Amino acid sequence: MPTFSKIFQREELTVNGIKTVMLTAGKGEPLMFWHGGGTFHGFDFAVPWADKYKVMIPFHPGFGESAEDVSVNSVHDMVMHYLEMFDLLKLDKVNLVGFSLGGYIASSFAVEHDTRLKKLVLVAPAGLKVPEAPSLDIFSVPGEVLGTYLVADMATLMPHLPTGHDIDFIVGGYREMTGAARLLWDRNYDPKLGKWLHRIKVPTLLMWGEEDRIVPAAQAPTWSKLIPNATVKTYKGAGHLVLDEKPEAVKAVADFFG
Amino acid sequence: MQRWQDDLQFYCMHFMPYLHLPEDHQKYDSVWVDFSNKHYDPKKGHALYKRYMAELVLADKLGYDGLVVNEHHATAYSMMPSCTVIAAALIPQTTQAKICCFGVPVNLAMPSRVAEEYAMLDVMSGGRLEVAFPLGTGMEYWAHPVNPATARARYRESIDIIIKAWTEDGPISYDGEFYNYRYLNVWPKPYQKPHPKIAIVGTGSPETVEYAAQHGWAYSQVFTPKAQQIKTFKALREMTEKYGHQNAPDKALFNVIVYVAETKEQAEKEAKEHIKFYFQDALRTTTRFLAPPGYISVDQFRQRASVPNIHGEFNWENLTQQWRVAVGTADDVAEAISTWCEEAQSSRPILHHHIGDMPHWKVVKNMTLFAEEVIPKLRPGGRRAVGGGEVKVAAAAGRS
Repeated sequence: MPTFSKIFQREELTVNGIKTVMLTAGKGEPLMFWHGGGTFHGFDFAVPWADKYKVMIPFHPGFGESAEDVSVNSVHDMVMHYLEMFDLLKLDKVNLVGFSLGGYIASSFAVEHDTRLKKLVLVAPAGLKVPEAPSLDIFSVPGEVLGTYLVADMATLMPHLPTGHDIDFIVGGYREMTGAARLLWDRNYDPKLGKWLHRIKVPTLLMWGEEDRIVPAAQAPTWSKLIPNATVKTYKGAGHLVLDEKPEAVKAVADFFG
Repeated sequence: MQRWQDDLQFYCMHFMPYLHLPEDHQKYDSVWVDFSNKHYDPKKGHALYKRYMAELVLADKLGYDGLVVNEHHATAYSMMPSCTVIAAALIPQTTQAKICCFGVPVNLAMPSRVAEEYAMLDVMSGGRLEVAFPLGTGMEYWAHPVNPATARARYRESIDIIIKAWTEDGPISYDGEFYNYRYLNVWPKPYQKPHPKIAIVGTGSPETVEYAAQHGWAYSQVFTPKAQQIKTFKALREMTEKYGHQNAPDKALFNVIVYVAETKEQAEKEAKEHIKFYFQDALRTTTRFLAPPGYISVDQFRQRASVPNIHGEFNWENLTQQWRVAVGTADDVAEAISTWCEEAQSSRPILHHHIGDMPHWKVVKNMTLFAEEVIPKLRPGGRRAVGGGEVKVAAAAGRS
């Protein structure tokens, strides 16, 4: 199980019946982060955001410490889950960061509910079909080598990987892959997403590691063409986990939110 | 409950593996899912089909009570991606043995189609069909567009549809989570009423055992260690009673690897290399293919991750002590099977006589010795009568 910086507090919510655990830190305007398909690498990259914002990092249903709900089995269900959470927490005009699977959920959320957002950052977002630069099917990658697909430099991941046969780590990974399979097994994109991305009117930052082997940075032009108010930042020497690898990317998110 | 001794029947199972693996096949981690079908030679496959069908037909002639076929996909392990096709071919070549489709993984076909094909086989055979419903191995889900995370819910809905299609007069409508039928109206309906005997297939997970018990169905335990099988059948009996159904020894089906020869040494000498091939080569696959995400619960995954993966391993002492592998003389084998039937309170051993890459002559020898020398030791009446009386099988491997 990942360990988290001591600055994070653990909050437990019940969102439409689902036990949802959220890590929070700092004070200020809300900055919510929606994680990708695995949480083993933790969220310590987000610590600097707490200097200025109230950082909120909920675990998706079926991930990390949140409970599973087998009936949450589509990205639209996740959109509804977070709409419920926004209402529960009386959140309005949220600064939202969505990474990978979280970026798929965030862009789908923004298409329908961008009035609940102040600004949006999509970090290597999944969810769009880009035939010339398709996203990798993560289910086809054996767990033993997945790490090399996530980062440009394995040194970034080493502190988060077990040193020996760690049954809890393996089981935790299987559980989160199951959560991801409920949403992504049939296909890892929404064929209709591109048709509606123009409805995202809030300022949007698209961010990529140039060496991303899961959602290629070559998808950035397609996203930025479809979202009217979007800018793109890419980082050399970074893979899919660009926020873990590049502190300047973390800073760029905070700067973008202003 | 009826005594197992009073209802003992012998089922003969075949996997129909493809044997002609490339010389360097051991460099592949798996002969399932991603092991290329470029390695399949249809001419060699044709010869194998003829041979394997002859072996199952011989089992009928030798007086076995049932012929068991099953289904696997995208693998050299099995040339039966459709067990109903094999079953249909067996019907006109056999006379008495039950045709046991153990069976089509219902998630991989439309439930109405499964209901139709099984009903066809039952009518065509005049009521000789028995069926079992497997979920399919994890490997199957990598090769089909079915989400493993919803496999168990879909499986139960599919079976529900099949039973309704068989037992209610159509057309009926069915409004499910996965399937919506406006006019569910299968023609034909089964020959046996209300339907052929049903078993649930599994490794013994408590939910699946309970599911079988709820309906009063049989449970067919796949090849697993003895201790696990005994536990499963005990749970099955307890739950069958809890759900108000009658316990019976034919509700416990268990799989055994059997080889009979003149002496124990001879039997081991003849069988061991093929059993080794079965575990090391035919079953070889990766833990990832065995458990696609959501295919088993997180708790079950933890249990499985805590015990060794037998897919690709071979340890003779472990196998013969902890698993149901009987290799020896007719007396040795009869004693082992009798002990296991008693332990499992089962009257339905499913015998694997063809194992791994065993050649035809050994299969015929093994089956013939079992039928002629083991069955009479276990069942006072001996083999079932074939065509009105005991049939001497001239073709049985040139034995005098």
